[in-house]
Amino acid sequence: MNKGKSFSLFHWLFLLCLFITHLSFSHVLADSHFEGFDAEDDDAVDEEPLDHHEIRPPPLTQSDSHPTPDPETQFNPDPNPVPTSDSPPQSDLQKPSTTTFEYWDEDEFEGLPVEQPPPEPPKVTENATPDDADPKTTSKPPKTAVSKKSFTVEIICGAFLIAFVINYFTGKRENENLALAWAAKFATKGSIFEKNFSLLGVGEGEDSPLLLKEGQTVFKFYASGRRYCQGLLATMELKSRHDLISRLFNLVVPCKDEISFEVYMNEEAMDQVVFAVAKKKAAKGMQKEVRDLQRFAGLVANPSGRKWVAEELSVISESKEVAGDLITEAVLEQVFGDRAFEKYGKDFISMHFSDQHPGTHKKMLLFKFGLPDANHMADMTRWVALVPYYIDLIGRFKLSSQARSKTEAARVKAAQEAYKELQNARQEALQKKKAERKKMLEEAEAKLSAEAVRKKEAKDRARQMKKAMPRMKMTRGH
Amino acid sequence: MSHNNNSASVNDPRQPSAAKPFVTQPVSPQDLPVDYSGFIAVVFGIAGVMFRYKLSSWLAIIFCAQSLANMRNVENDLKQISMAMMFAIMGLVTNYLGPARPGT
Repeated sequence: MNKGKSFSLFHWLFLLCLFITHLSFSHVLADSHFEGFDAEDDDAVDEEPLDHHEIRPPPLTQSDSHPTPDPETQFNPDPNPVPTSDSPPQSDLQKPSTTTFEYWDEDEFEGLPVEQPPPEPPKVTENATPDDADPKTTSKPPKTAVSKKSFTVEIICGAFLIAFVINYFTGKRENENLALAWAAKFATKGSIFEKNFSLLGVGEGEDSPLLLKEGQTVFKFYASGRRYCQGLLATMELKSRHDLISRLFNLVVPCKDEISFEVYMNEEAMDQVVFAVAKKKAAKGMQKEVRDLQRFAGLVANPSGRKWVAEELSVISESKEVAGDLITEAVLEQVFGDRAFEKYGKDFISMHFSDQHPGTHKKMLLFKFGLPDANHMADMTRWVALVPYYIDLIGRFKLSSQARSKTEAARVKAAQEAYKELQNARQEALQKKKAERKKMLEEAEAKLSAEAVRKKEAKDRARQMKKAMPRMKMTRGH
Repeated sequence: MSHNNNSASVNDPRQPSAAKPFVTQPVSPQDLPVDYSGFIAVVFGIAGVMFRYKLSSWLAIIFCAQSLANMRNVENDLKQISMAMMFAIMGLVTNYLGPARPGT
């Protein structure tokens, strides 16, 4: 009974699926092979609760009909699926697999081989292997290529990282050695700074560390306890030797180790002086960019009838008098003269004295030199000696009354200008505020007015309505 | 030997009484040079995670190392570096241990 019931149901479904396949075939005749399977697969899924053995036949008969696509068989489906129910599938299945071998598709037979009787699959897979192996072999090479490529990335990056770490330690050591060589040459017992300053080093007490390390490239040296000045701070800015990337970058854009001295002069020890010496190109830039030089000083032409600085250098000064007094014979002979500069000039960058230095401390002497390498520190002895020399020279220097009145006037003028600027800035800020407030008010008003217009319109409408209403009432009253 | 002896040898220029100990000027974080490498590391790290691109993650790690090497202000920079490091490592982990990419 049960079997008969399911049978009739199956019969029904079979007809249905045949109808569907027929429909799909009529739509896509060219690709009939696939379409037929797809439709039946769907049906098979739908009928899962039913007996599998009895559902199988339809797809198989379908596949059988495909190799020899005959529209007749499609139009007249076999009303009795029973004869093709259990035994024929094997031979039927084999047929398509052998005859339509070229059309073999793995996806098409997904699920089917599982339900097939065990003796069947070997043949099918045997037939399929040549086709099956192909995609595998073609897909394998790219995989290996990918892994090879990725390995090159890892090898390069890993090697670079290791090189980076090694370079970090060696470069750090190099920088430290350079800084220590400088300190050993100029800040130990019997050296220039020891003779000129009573306190050396950044710490307190007798054996304080001479150098302060800030980051990996900046070293600071501090000295204090000398006449005319409060202190001296030397800052060494070395190349980024510890950093492999900047090191590579510096191969393209070379840079130098530099040391700059800042001398904080005593207030009463420095007269009104604005003065700078630098190489010609740099001097032009300084004159334009550094504020106090720009405001108070100008390039000074070489005076005739006097020994002057080397050709490559130019002097920026507030007045000729100051320049003439600060470029002394001794300095010309030692460093700035033609012959001396030829010999030692490579380490000189700039020199800048100012009593109007922007910042907290106004009276400052700034020196900037290049650092030679650790083994040739003695090369810059003359330049370092220039620092205490100029501290004394500036400390003793007094302007003549004539020049003094001039510089005084310039400073008063500058102060006034600064005051005016400040006032202007303040006023501008005030005006801006005012304008903003006004704008806000206007906006609010505009909003209000829009609302007012709306209200007025509403009122008008109401009035009109009212006007109309009484008449209505009147008519009603009638 | 040097010219300053002329003026300095007259009398000792040193004045121990005027000596002022060194005071480190506190540097505000704004004045520090911008940590470009840290920024680049973050960018590469995020790109590595987003696009599952190995090289990007590796570059992020390298720039992390650079940023670490150039670090000046420990507590300030460490935030950015740790973030970049996290992204870089996350990118590498998803790359090597995560599910295989469907594309390859």
